[in-house]
Amino acid sequence: SWRSSAAPPSERPGERRAAEMKKLYGEDAPKILAMEAAMQLTFDRNCDLKQPKYWPVIPLKL
Amino acid sequence: SIPTSAASEEDAELLSEEQHARSVLRESFLRCLLSMTNKKVQFNMYEKVKVEATFGASDIDVLNFQVSDLHTPIGVQKEALIRCRDVISFTFDI
Amino acid sequence: MQCGWPLLGPLRWISYVNKQVKVKAGKDAEHRGWLMTVDPVSSSLVLVTFREGGGASVQVVMGHAVEEVQVLQEADEETTERLQASFLSPQTCRLDQ
Repeated sequence: SWRSSAAPPSERPGERRAAEMKKLYGEDAPKILAMEAAMQLTFDRNCDLKQPKYWPVIPLKL
Repeated sequence: SIPTSAASEEDAELLSEEQHARSVLRESFLRCLLSMTNKKVQFNMYEKVKVEATFGASDIDVLNFQVSDLHTPIGVQKEALIRCRDVISFTFDI
Repeated sequence: MQCGWPLLGPLRWISYVNKQVKVKAGKDAEHRGWLMTVDPVSSSLVLVTFREGGGASVQVVMGHAVEEVQVLQEADEETTERLQASFLSPQTCRLDQ
């Protein structure tokens, strides 16, 4: 079961993302990946800290 | 007809051109989002909704904007998430 | 260009960079400005309008809302430089304004 195994699944999300980024951005992939990681980190941290709620509550456009 | 090797060489060249264009465009866009941090931004949304807020951050898939001091038609919401799908355009000054 | 904007791809998008464009988006909203970049993820356009006496206003039009993009003119060298430096100048790095 997944609990007993310390090894991650054969295909790790991080690796898959890196491969996708390489396909999209070629040799610039590491630079874009780093910029995106920093930005996502800021977004996640702000959301954790400030607990923003969606506005408007109901989407305007479905 | 074009021999396969030449065709695949052309494909590879096109792919690398496309990758380069994509990374140039993306890097500029990410810089634009970064430059918005702590700036007043006016959002022009569907249903003729116009609101102003202080920009915090965007997720990298451009699905949500995290903002503060959102001036809604019924008052100020201190912290909010705006769905990018609700937005037509937004404006800020540099 | 009509409707298929999100599907054009990086090589077509980049051909609009440094051009003054008119973008139709939403119902009848029209946006004009110098196209600085197009986000390849959301196909959103970044338009810059320079103000007299310095500074600029930036409009981002979400890719999903774009109905039509029309090229008005190409930028000269000076405008191109100004445009591409827009988000690199130290002024835009200030966090306190």
